[in-house]
Amino acid sequence: MNKLLEIKDLVTNFYTYEGVVRAINQVSLDIEKDIVFGLVGESGCGKSVTARSVMRIVQPPGAIEGGEILFYNDKNDGQKSIDLLKQDEQFMQKLRGSSISMIFQEPNLALNPVLSIGYQIAESFLFHQNSEMSQAVLKDLQNNEYRILPLLRSFLIWCYAKSLEPEKSALLSLFAKIPVLKNWDYLLNSEARKRSLVILDKLGIANAERIFDAYPHNLSGGMKQRIVIALALACQPVLLIADEATSNLDVTVQAQILELLIELKKDTISSIILITHDLGIVAETCDRAGVMYAGNVCEVADVEDLFNNPRHPYTKALLNSVPKFTQKGKLETIPGFVPNLVTPPSGCRFHPRCPECFDLCKTRTPVLQGINDRHQVACHLYH
Amino acid sequence: MFSLLMTFSPERRAMVYVTTPQQAKDIPSLIKRYGFDQPFYKQYGRWAKEVASGNFGYSLVASRPVSEAFWIYFPVSLELALYAAPCIIIFGIWMGTKAGRHRNSGFDHFSRVFSIIGWSLPTFLFALVLLMIFYGYTNWFPPGILSDESSLYIIEHPDKFIRYTGLYSIDGILNGNLSIALDSLKHLVLPVITLTVVVCAILMRVMRSGMIEEMSKDYVTTARAKGVDENTILIKHARRNALIPVITVAGTLVALLMEGSVAVEIIFNRQGIGWWLATSAIQLDMPVLMAICLFMGVVFVSVNLIVDILYAVIDPRIRLD
Amino acid sequence: MATQHPALKEFKYTLHRIFKNPTAILGFTLLLFFITVAVMAPYLAPPKYEHNPYKVPHTGFSSIPQPPSAEHPFGTTSGQYDIYYAAVWGTRTSFKIGLFVVSIALLIGVTLGCIAGYYGGLVDEVIMRCVDAFYAIPFLVLAMTIVVAFGRGLDVIMIAIASVAWRNYVRVMRASILTIRDLDYVNAAKLMGVSDFRIMMRHILPNSIFPVMIVASMEIGAYVLIAAFLAFLGLGAPRGYADWGQMIALARNYIVGPPDDPFLYWYTIAIPGGCIVLFVLAWNLIGDALRDAFDPKLRRE
Repeated sequence: MNKLLEIKDLVTNFYTYEGVVRAINQVSLDIEKDIVFGLVGESGCGKSVTARSVMRIVQPPGAIEGGEILFYNDKNDGQKSIDLLKQDEQFMQKLRGSSISMIFQEPNLALNPVLSIGYQIAESFLFHQNSEMSQAVLKDLQNNEYRILPLLRSFLIWCYAKSLEPEKSALLSLFAKIPVLKNWDYLLNSEARKRSLVILDKLGIANAERIFDAYPHNLSGGMKQRIVIALALACQPVLLIADEATSNLDVTVQAQILELLIELKKDTISSIILITHDLGIVAETCDRAGVMYAGNVCEVADVEDLFNNPRHPYTKALLNSVPKFTQKGKLETIPGFVPNLVTPPSGCRFHPRCPECFDLCKTRTPVLQGINDRHQVACHLYH
Repeated sequence: MFSLLMTFSPERRAMVYVTTPQQAKDIPSLIKRYGFDQPFYKQYGRWAKEVASGNFGYSLVASRPVSEAFWIYFPVSLELALYAAPCIIIFGIWMGTKAGRHRNSGFDHFSRVFSIIGWSLPTFLFALVLLMIFYGYTNWFPPGILSDESSLYIIEHPDKFIRYTGLYSIDGILNGNLSIALDSLKHLVLPVITLTVVVCAILMRVMRSGMIEEMSKDYVTTARAKGVDENTILIKHARRNALIPVITVAGTLVALLMEGSVAVEIIFNRQGIGWWLATSAIQLDMPVLMAICLFMGVVFVSVNLIVDILYAVIDPRIRLD
Repeated sequence: MATQHPALKEFKYTLHRIFKNPTAILGFTLLLFFITVAVMAPYLAPPKYEHNPYKVPHTGFSSIPQPPSAEHPFGTTSGQYDIYYAAVWGTRTSFKIGLFVVSIALLIGVTLGCIAGYYGGLVDEVIMRCVDAFYAIPFLVLAMTIVVAFGRGLDVIMIAIASVAWRNYVRVMRASILTIRDLDYVNAAKLMGVSDFRIMMRHILPNSIFPVMIVASMEIGAYVLIAAFLAFLGLGAPRGYADWGQMIALARNYIVGPPDDPFLYWYTIAIPGGCIVLFVLAWNLIGDALRDAFDPKLRRE
């Protein structure tokens, strides 16, 4: 079983003043382990919404209304897969950041301006690796690594040991409410700091110490994006979703970031979902790719196959519209406009703009089906 | 910006409008004596000179020099403000956060209603109603500063009750006389409630709108994607950013507090600065008005200074790197 | 789907947004009610003194308020002033105060704000320093000082409040103008040689006036409140004038009735008080609704 994530018939709607926006209309995707998967499409076709639905951070007025998202992760206690849509919020919170991570498009806004970078990175550790860090601190305390009074030391040893026990200690929860005592776990902060510096180092950031204490406004755009990646990778997730992570950066920085991602993929992450509208990035970086249009997946294939043998008319048109060096004359475009998702076209959503449309396309929505093992299309021309 | 505020004397404006008292014009000798017929700038110059040397004039209302009377009235207002301020801050921020978190929920609607009504209420009316209900009907919280017995006690036993600060609640504790302290607190309840409601109304809505705005920002999404729970996002991430516009309004809130205390002090019969101001206004006691204007101006400027400092504390972008 | 004219669609959308809030509907209804009362005042409560309809008739001089009866639908307050009459004509007074203050304040504030924002530089600095001076002292205190200086009376109150109220508008207007001043179409007009005044009137004003209007509508309520308070203190119109604040002042000694029935004189406070609260509430709700409707962040969510 090589699958990491399996999205089946996902439906996500947004309830707005103008009507119900059917953003995701029965999307099905399979993400395997150890690949870079590119999700391509125009702006507004639903790529970001799909990603957010997977992480279940879709905010009202949006709501996930149907389908399954199966996550295959060895970390689960023996089960083969879990349906992410059926889990409660607490489980999802544990999952986000530690198993599945996401990085976003606008690095300038992605970081909280009033909190230091170090705090924001350490937060991931504090939330997800609390017990491991407690254990490490406990060990250090027992080895007398910290220079503190013996009385304080024994008290802290007791606290940390208690916190590692499977049942939640009533006394510790009481401490959490008392102003001064609730900081008994301050040593965790220094442990988190250590780990943060490690990850900053891994990302090739010089002066990690200085950056740790700096604030977002002290950094450049590219640097900020690296920090965001550090945030995402801190707890070694299995799946990384990059939502147009490089769209707002200049080309050279873009290249660096992409290289960085591929590098990091080699040791820790299993797969990356790269969401973009830039076909060039897909061609360079991805192993497999899926094309989306207006809330539906049109075509999924290995990258080479997709670029050499596009089957879906939309994919073909998309590849055609990329300007080539040797091209002379007008640029190719796709006639028509992106449809209004409140009242999408009936049947296949691409049919008003499709040069090869016929009657069936107007009435029945095509389903994603394989034409061979690795290549799937959702088009009536092929089924 | 605060340096500009500092250089501008706020009382100048007050002086311009507090021109010659009409009644003195009837008495020519008085005019000559006090120099009322001299040109405006000379009058102002004289007043400023007097002020600089600490002489604020004589108050008809208090029957003593203004500077002396000030220290009698000031502690009363201070006490009120000291008790009202934490209530306002805590209540306002808490309610605003809660409302901003669950937008359009029951609590949110309730807080909006509360806010609008609190804003529409005239302070004096609200105070009157509270007095009517809680004093007239139940006799729980009487007006005034101290009950008659306590006041009598203080007057009759000057050696046993030393005024350290002028704030009766604290003096009571400092003197070991718990009953006086409790008595004074009892008299404080209604005024503090009145002020809290009126000022909270605005604080809460600014807080709420700040929270709503922050929660839709990108860094909140990042934090969610990190797996941080909603509570922590609310408190540690969003609230700090939402406090920035709140602090901006802090100056206005302080002004509102001062205005409110005028009404409250009159209705609840507490002789503080507000009461003094209103009574002087009714009785046309000029020096007092000018002195109070000056005082308020100074307070306001200092509040703005504090606000500027607070900005630097909360928002690292503003600190001088 | 038929395409509507974009301006019409926007207008309808705005109306929808304004009225989406049930509170906005309440506000408008209340305001409509008050407008009706104010307009119909001579019919609802025929004036006793023809030359000065604002003088509240009083039958007798007893200082004890009388409960509602057939002759006095809302009862009378201390001095036997008919509360019903005062309430009805007080509506007109409040409207007078509110609208007068707002128009004068807007006039001054917008003009100064325009000049400051448009010309910038030294003019801007000077004007803003003046505004800062006004800002240094709380509203009420300044208004009180002015009233004292110029004597009592309703018109003095109105002038006093108006002279303090404009300080807000200057700032808002100036900020608004600063965002528009350097836009291209203003520069284009300048290049064409349009006089400054025309530029301000035709190009800048219509686009920047919105925030000021919203602030103004929210503040009318506050002005009425302050006017009521000043009247309550006795700094307003002479005794017997139909003013809500005054009515409450008259009731001051009677808020608490005899020990066995403390609510005996509730009507002396509740009725004029209720009028004030509802009136201010109406304006506040409307201002709130307008603000929510025009806030670009809240639109199209």
